[in-house]
Amino acid sequence: MNKKRKLISGSMILFELRDVVGNPFIHIFGIGMPIFFALILPRSITAGMKDSDLASTIVTSFFLATGSLIPLATVLIGYAASCAQELEKGIPQRMELFGISKKETLFNRAISEGIFMLIAFAIYVLVTGFILDLKKPVLSGVLIYALCMIVLGIICFILAHGIANLFEKFGPTYCVTMLLYFGFMALGGMMGISYDQMSKGMQAVAKMLPMTYISRDFVTVWTGKNYNFMPMIQSYLFLAAIAGILLFIVWKKTERKVH
Amino acid sequence: MQTLLSINNLTVRYGKDVALQIDQPIAIEEGDRVGIIGSNGAGKSTLIKSILGLTDYEGNIQTTLKPQEMATHMQFNEYTNSMPVKYIMEAILDTKIGKNKKLSELISYFEFEDCLRKRYSSLSGGQKQRFTIILVMMQEAPLTFYDEVTSGLDFETRQKLVEKLVEWYRDKECGLCVVSHYYEELEQLVEKLLILDQGHVIAFGNKDELFHKYCGKAVFILDNSLKNQKLLAAYERLEAPAHLLALSCNDAEKERELTELFIQNNVNYKRSNQDIEMIYVNAKAAYEKSKGRRK
Repeated sequence: MNKKRKLISGSMILFELRDVVGNPFIHIFGIGMPIFFALILPRSITAGMKDSDLASTIVTSFFLATGSLIPLATVLIGYAASCAQELEKGIPQRMELFGISKKETLFNRAISEGIFMLIAFAIYVLVTGFILDLKKPVLSGVLIYALCMIVLGIICFILAHGIANLFEKFGPTYCVTMLLYFGFMALGGMMGISYDQMSKGMQAVAKMLPMTYISRDFVTVWTGKNYNFMPMIQSYLFLAAIAGILLFIVWKKTERKVH
Repeated sequence: MQTLLSINNLTVRYGKDVALQIDQPIAIEEGDRVGIIGSNGAGKSTLIKSILGLTDYEGNIQTTLKPQEMATHMQFNEYTNSMPVKYIMEAILDTKIGKNKKLSELISYFEFEDCLRKRYSSLSGGQKQRFTIILVMMQEAPLTFYDEVTSGLDFETRQKLVEKLVEWYRDKECGLCVVSHYYEELEQLVEKLLILDQGHVIAFGNKDELFHKYCGKAVFILDNSLKNQKLLAAYERLEAPAHLLALSCNDAEKERELTELFIQNNVNYKRSNQDIEMIYVNAKAAYEKSKGRRK
């Protein structure tokens, strides 16, 4: 087996995808929960509402916000949990000793997580899209939403990898990612308190998170109305910077010594 | 012979404790079969981890080999449990079992065909070991490490596994380092010994030379019973584990004399000119004497 390994290969993507699918967390939190939230919550809010246009706007807003739970659940919670479990057992090191570098594992895993995330989104849209009364989107709105979800997924992946490698144990990793998950949901206005109802301090933190803009404003982008993207881009950059720093730290920490 | 690896002044610390301190030069050459022995905490696994670059160390480890050119069967090997081991094997080796003749032969050689559909956690201890061994052997690395490959296995499984390893590596040119507490296995597998104790090298060299140095030409080993103690009272004894008595023989005359004595007294005995346990016990005793720890 002295042949040079490719950084990205079909067999490794398939292997990682099997590993992703074998993780029960992501089916519950990544597919089941967003569909449940999207179907139940808007109905309870819009029940009896006479203004059908307003009701449709609220439902669409919920649909878009709940969709952002998919990258959070499948990648942030799911990958972090699976990665921490494997680190606890020494599996990544075992793979490295077989000549599969950390970089190879990371790239193929990222692609597999991306594929699963897309499948989860497809199921989410198929199930909820036909049941809910959504506002008709413009093409640019759909594309920007897709781009935002992909970028959020990438940031969540880096963040999950960093957290799991920082603790190298399932317990603390799962605890921190769950705190982040519910924290992002709460600050993003998805747990009953909207941005306007938050205290000044909470608003300051919420402004730094992309989930706030997705949940609060994205229906504007979805329907093709004018929107100032700058605060949302800044929030993405902020979260990406934190994830990047964390990845750099753990990468250095786990580097193998070469004689 | 090309030197695969050389170690000079290696020190590994875990916190304030020194886990390994190698002062004398150690070289592993192409084709070397080295047994690494010592009690628990002697530094055997730490040495392997240092060589593989898995732990921080001070000192110098020189090798022309890339990390992926050193294959390793670690003491504990774990794999994902989310899929049958067949897929893990194919991903690690970047091949398809059906299309790879050598892999298929190796699977058949280790009688692993029926395990391919199982998940790793469903495999027995012996099957788990065989799984990693197949992957390690497929690496065809110039230098391979086996760290306690038969630990936790029953006698029969251990025997079968070692037979297969001996057979597989018989005509291979690669270097082999085997950590084991089962000395009878090492007698079949290795020609050199690296003896460690509390992180220090007690002895390193050819197995036969070390036997001559510490045990003489041959040893007679008996049970440590009162009857045997009385019988051998007049003879100078070698160091031996508590349940055994050992005598060194350096000439045929003495061997004949002792054999006659044992037959006359109906005593069970074993003669050996390569017993690794005796090398270990006597090398350790000599080392401790040299350090003033033993009279």
